[in-house]
Amino acid sequence: MNSVNFFPNLWRFAGLVLVQAIVLEEASLNTDGYCNVLLYPLFILFLPITLPVPSAVLLGFLVGLAVDFLTGTIGVNAAAGAFSGYARAIILHRFATKGGYSGKEPVASPVYFGWRWFLSVAGVFFAVHIFWYFAMSYFTPMYLLGKIIPQTILSWVLTMPVVFIFTRLFYPKI
Amino acid sequence: MHSILQLFIRHGGLLTLVVVEVFCFYLISTYNDAQGEISATTWMQYSGTVLGWKTDLYDYVGLKDENTRLRIENARLQSQLANSRMIEVPTLDTVRRQVRADTLERKIIRPEYVLISGRVVGNTISGRNNWMIINRGKRDGVQPNTGVITRSGVAGVVRYVSDNFAIAMSVLHPQTKISAAVKGYEYFGSLVWDGDDPQYLTLTDIPYHLPVKPRDTIQISNYSLLFPEGHTVGLVDTAYRVQGSSFLYIRVKPTQTPASVNDVYVVTNRYAPELNDLQQAIKKDE
Repeated sequence: MNSVNFFPNLWRFAGLVLVQAIVLEEASLNTDGYCNVLLYPLFILFLPITLPVPSAVLLGFLVGLAVDFLTGTIGVNAAAGAFSGYARAIILHRFATKGGYSGKEPVASPVYFGWRWFLSVAGVFFAVHIFWYFAMSYFTPMYLLGKIIPQTILSWVLTMPVVFIFTRLFYPKI
Repeated sequence: MHSILQLFIRHGGLLTLVVVEVFCFYLISTYNDAQGEISATTWMQYSGTVLGWKTDLYDYVGLKDENTRLRIENARLQSQLANSRMIEVPTLDTVRRQVRADTLERKIIRPEYVLISGRVVGNTISGRNNWMIINRGKRDGVQPNTGVITRSGVAGVVRYVSDNFAIAMSVLHPQTKISAAVKGYEYFGSLVWDGDDPQYLTLTDIPYHLPVKPRDTIQISNYSLLFPEGHTVGLVDTAYRVQGSSFLYIRVKPTQTPASVNDVYVVTNRYAPELNDLQQAIKKDE
């Protein structure tokens, strides 16, 4: 990260964590935590494309930990954040356009790649993140079919529109 | 070092992920009650197996310590056994009778023997005067003129003591005289080595009228100040009357082969100095 994109990422970090902890956490509590709208992974997704993977993992861990401290679930979001920080690199690699990323597109934003591409990437990315979030929440493979996967699907369905709205709203260029 | 660096550059993301996730697992199970409970239960299920392996490994590695511990324990038990034979407890009708150490009136038990476990680190059997070196000395409480026994028999008598070692006359030493008796008879004699065959000892001074047979047990007599009374020494090999003598010639096969002495106990009779003093008093009278 350089001085050009440091501050946009910092604002995203702070803004998304606050929105997550104050607004979306309340919504989640209304359902007894059965389904969560997890928006803060957008911070991880919008990290610079060229960012080395270890840094993405660590930043994912940090943003998750920040949310954890505000919602009292120490480690759960941090584990999911680190996991999706690593998954992001694989997903971006899979969805790379012909010739790969040129460096002219600093972030994985619909500004550069179009909505279709963005929603596919975000769809997979959020599915991975939400799955790992619930896996860490239940912490045992015993609940995989009974609770983890159904709640992942439901939360994913609820999360994606919010992701779309936020991305449309801010339309990040860097 | 270079290859480790290469590995990190190639798989740095994965390595970071693994480290961070492990740390997260720790955080989750430490700071969240529900997940903590789940991980504790899971740990218990798997740790049983793993702990089993661990115990097996520790047992194997600790065999040497275990062996030492057992030797010390044996010394304690042997001394209890040795002492149990000499405990006299007055009963209500003032008749004194012998009881086992762990039965009655513990408070008036007078322990007679102290046993110190040790190992023979040097031993000769081929000479005329045979000696053993024991890895216990003054610092361990070994004193000169104390008996050395093994589980199965008698090994010798301590003569010289340094800080950490003791030198004992083997039973294969002409000066080693063991006060012994044939089990079942009250007569006692001296068990000595005649200097010929290291396989056999000779029991002297047993009157010819005793019907001693081969395979009879020879044990420490109750007059011995060096060894616990009743400790088995050997088995009668041959016994016959020597022409013109009123005593039997008894050849004894020691139950502890002198050549294979290994784990030993140094026996200290706590009353030996007192008894020796009394005997000195008799000599003065004469």
